[in-house]
Amino acid sequence: MSNKQYMCLLRSDNAEGCEKPSPSDMEVMYAKYQAWQTKFADNIVDMGSKLGSEGAVVRHDSVKDGPFIELKEVIGGYMLISAANKEAAIAVIQASPMVESSSVSIEIREINSL
Amino acid sequence: MKIDAHVEHLFRHEYGQLVALLVRRLGMQHLDMANDAVQWAMAQALEHWPKTKPPTTPSAWLYQVAYRHALSEIRGNQLKLQKLTRLHEQLDHASTPPEDMPLSGELNDALLRMLFISCDEDLALESQLVFTLKSLCGFSIEEIAYRLFISEANTYKRYSRAKHYLQAQKIELDGVDVSTMASRLSAVHRVIYLMFTEGYLSSHKDLAIRHDLCEEAIRLGQALAKSTIGGSPETDALLALMLLNFSRIQARQNAQGLVLLQEQNRTLWDQQIIRQGLAYLQRSASGESLSRYHVEAGIAAEHCLAPSYQQTDWQKVVQGYQLLEQIAPSPFHILNRAIAIAEWQGAAEGLRVLNAANFPVWLERSYHWFAVLADLQYRCGEIGQATNNAELALAQAPTENTKQLLLKRLSAYNTNGD
Repeated sequence: MSNKQYMCLLRSDNAEGCEKPSPSDMEVMYAKYQAWQTKFADNIVDMGSKLGSEGAVVRHDSVKDGPFIELKEVIGGYMLISAANKEAAIAVIQASPMVESSSVSIEIREINSL
Repeated sequence: MKIDAHVEHLFRHEYGQLVALLVRRLGMQHLDMANDAVQWAMAQALEHWPKTKPPTTPSAWLYQVAYRHALSEIRGNQLKLQKLTRLHEQLDHASTPPEDMPLSGELNDALLRMLFISCDEDLALESQLVFTLKSLCGFSIEEIAYRLFISEANTYKRYSRAKHYLQAQKIELDGVDVSTMASRLSAVHRVIYLMFTEGYLSSHKDLAIRHDLCEEAIRLGQALAKSTIGGSPETDALLALMLLNFSRIQARQNAQGLVLLQEQNRTLWDQQIIRQGLAYLQRSASGESLSRYHVEAGIAAEHCLAPSYQQTDWQKVVQGYQLLEQIAPSPFHILNRAIAIAEWQGAAEGLRVLNAANFPVWLERSYHWFAVLADLQYRCGEIGQATNNAELALAQAPTENTKQLLLKRLSAYNTNGD
């Protein structure tokens, strides 16, 4: 397949108050996920995972502990998709329920495999 | 139209059952924790299920996750509080292995026990309703406020009043004896019926919003009817009443607003739901008792079975309202009887009923009263008085929908009166 693979990094705005979704909200969300996954089954390579808040930043001379709460936007998860080109990849992500929240942004980066 | 939309409402419908089950394990004093744990489990499900496949038994999955979460929370609290003994005992008692999957029967049983416990006479009816909608139907405070047309602050107040009261009593779900449960059955009916009418009579433009309160009420009613403790002729009658009304909800409102019974498109009435309603009505006749639900369901059945408004058996409807006045006196029944008599024996007879009865002042000042009076007077040719009363009704109309309806009528009086 001539499709390219893209790493999608999900960032969410930390400052946002965490209003709990109601069960109705959640079942609507779940239905949207299912519809999206069915529609783009060929594009979704790996639904990825959520990233925990514990971590560290390692440099040659230092190790800084996470979580990185000082950052306004935190990378909260990742996933892998495949698409013919960047435009197609954007279309897949734009249709996803993840970007519905105004506090979420998703960065799409092509994986340059050689 | 679906009544058993279990798949669609998986989260919301599981919510109440899981909260009830956790409360059964952990005690009513941990109600908040049970709510949080179920909420958390559902968030986990939303996270995991799209990645794997949803589990074959979603309730068991949710229950396990919620139960573990609640236990770890309780343990955390224990350490903080250093108040180990009592809670520890309870925990050990409650620590049936998380693998013990709840059976669907047990889920329902816990749900119904919660329902009976929250229908406590010492709580205001509005509090019982809000508590039921939140804890057992899985609506959020915001969603309840939106559906009941009350403020979120007010909704929250009603909810927490019930919650604090129930938590303080430290009720064990299994500690409530059969006779207490039995004595509360009519209170349970009242809450379910209130939930139904809040949806059915609601003037929400969004049909789905009106639907879901009705559907919840019917769902609880069905669970009740299937149970040993809740199954009774009266429960069947209530269920029949709700189904026979619900079958017509689609026709009750259109893009222009409320549609009166005589103008409803009867092909929009859901025949399958009507059949279900009639089956429950038949079953409800098995007992000795005759409740208001029996009679009201009987009246609703007359409407459902009539091929047209004109062909309605108005005599039976009149008799129904007469009976209702005896069983559960309310001036509204007299008003409704007057309307039915007008159809049966003419508008003048209807007016005679209104004039003969002694109505309370609050009713005689309501839009309802003025609207009925205006209609009957108009049909008797008393155009001037009819117009007057229609204007009075209009001034009192509580919602935009009602206003539209009255305006439509008023303009009919004016054109025909000229």
